[in-house]
Amino acid sequence: MTATLSATPMRAPRQPFLSSDGRWISLGLGLAFVVVLGLPLVVAVLWSLVDPRVGWFAPDVVPTSLALDHWHTALRNPTILSALGLSVGIGIAVTILTSVLALPTAYALAKLPFKMKRAVELFVLAPLIVPGIIVAVGVGAIFFRLDLVYTIPGVILVQTVGTLPFMIRILAATIEAIPGDLIAAARTLGAGPWSIARHIVIPLAWPGFIAGGLLTFVSSFEEFEKTFIIGSPFVQTLPVILWTYLGGRGIIFPNAAVVTFILLVPMLIVFFLAGRVLRDDVLASGMGKL
Amino acid sequence: MIGGFAYRAAAAILILPAGGYLALFFGLPLLLAFLGGFGLFTRGAETGFTLEHYRVLFGTQAYRDGLWFSTYLAIVPTLVSLSLSLPLAVALARTHPGQKLFNMLYKVPLVVPGIVAAFIVMTMFDRGGLAARALAPIGIDLPKLVRDQWAVGVIIATAWKAVPFMTLIIGGSLGAINRDILAAARTLGAGPWATFVRIQVPLALPGITAAFLLTFIGGMGAYAVPNLLGPVYPLPLSVHMYVNAFERNNWGLVSAMGTVLSLISIMVLLAYYRATRSMRTAYGGEAR
Repeated sequence: MTATLSATPMRAPRQPFLSSDGRWISLGLGLAFVVVLGLPLVVAVLWSLVDPRVGWFAPDVVPTSLALDHWHTALRNPTILSALGLSVGIGIAVTILTSVLALPTAYALAKLPFKMKRAVELFVLAPLIVPGIIVAVGVGAIFFRLDLVYTIPGVILVQTVGTLPFMIRILAATIEAIPGDLIAAARTLGAGPWSIARHIVIPLAWPGFIAGGLLTFVSSFEEFEKTFIIGSPFVQTLPVILWTYLGGRGIIFPNAAVVTFILLVPMLIVFFLAGRVLRDDVLASGMGKL
Repeated sequence: MIGGFAYRAAAAILILPAGGYLALFFGLPLLLAFLGGFGLFTRGAETGFTLEHYRVLFGTQAYRDGLWFSTYLAIVPTLVSLSLSLPLAVALARTHPGQKLFNMLYKVPLVVPGIVAAFIVMTMFDRGGLAARALAPIGIDLPKLVRDQWAVGVIIATAWKAVPFMTLIIGGSLGAINRDILAAARTLGAGPWATFVRIQVPLALPGITAAFLLTFIGGMGAYAVPNLLGPVYPLPLSVHMYVNAFERNNWGLVSAMGTVLSLISIMVLLAYYRATRSMRTAYGGEAR
């Protein structure tokens, strides 16, 4: 009796403490999300639709007149469009570079016994521990000598420093779950390192690639500080443009609102697609323990 | 079969791409910054060993205040976010109508760029922002919340971004706790609150502290959000770093500042390891 009880790991149905709890939780969460997520979204939409001939001034809580002028201007503005293309391109390049660099190290950390493993783990983690601005300024000093400042390759290289740690950790956590017997069996059957990687490790580590890849793409797309320091003013990604609208010569809210949506829409598409394939535990596995 | 040497060689080859990359574009710059703080290998002016940069850093009122302010911007938003994400993680784990939807929605700020969060705070809380407009008819006059002395705007924007991040990690740790333990605690007479404080929080502490640490470091190095929403004085050290590097070309001082900020991060990391090590021994293999 006791043996059967302890042998089956209980995947118990989720139990509310009181059956009426659930409704209160939903009500509270719903209200919180409306205020914290919904309201700002509506305000940003309104700002992007402000009629430039009328404006939106206090004490009006809602603009008196709406127009699409700012959208028209933004969507015809070559700077914004090329920034969108550049952001997507850099994001893809960083994701590919990060995956390629991370896979071998993740495998070694997950499957091979070797001395100094802890030291390697810590070193690979270190870019998370050092604030990005320090990395950016330090890399900037080196890139000056290599003529990589203000270039797109320079921005890709510096962003990858920040994205590698999470990718390595997430991939290592996924690869750790691949049964060692499978790899041993393949090796017995004559598979070399390449075919083991191609036919076993990469296909089975796919959830890790998806989680890590999405995380990498998102953090590249929204990255500001390193991109700004290494790339600005010649490499203008969307966050850098948004920065010039908010911090530079005077704040231009309607323009900032439009760029905000041009930034947000690809992110939200990635996010909702990811929601279908992404498991929280894979994502959290990269960060739950340092 | 394969000897230890072959394993070591294989491991070295496998680690080389990412390890070499990080050594070149992370380790080397950091080492140069460390040396540069002492006047060695500095760009432009080669002075030989000197403590001058540190004397300037700790001797100038603006930089000393900046150091405190950077620490403030690391601690306060992190504490605020933690106090919000713990209950949120617990609430999201309970069964409730719309659980799937809420579990998705809370993560939206994860993909929202920090500058967008800053923009949102500006539209809502700046002078003449929506909050002020909505509250004015009731006769409530909001204090200054953006570019204010206490950096309330920075705290709001940082917490808005950090809460989902912390909730994700903490939720993962809470979810990993064996349900039998919770059931046992309940059977032994612990109420929901006691179960939470005495069982769930201690067992989830590695995740909680990891989330704390990462948010802390993010806050300390933040440049964009404090620059947009923070007060004119004091400026955090990160902003001083940028100004001195790219406007004054004073790389020695920048290196000293970077070294000090890195040291604070490393000290917090070491404190984290001390804390989690004792927890791992105290709670055995449950630590995750």
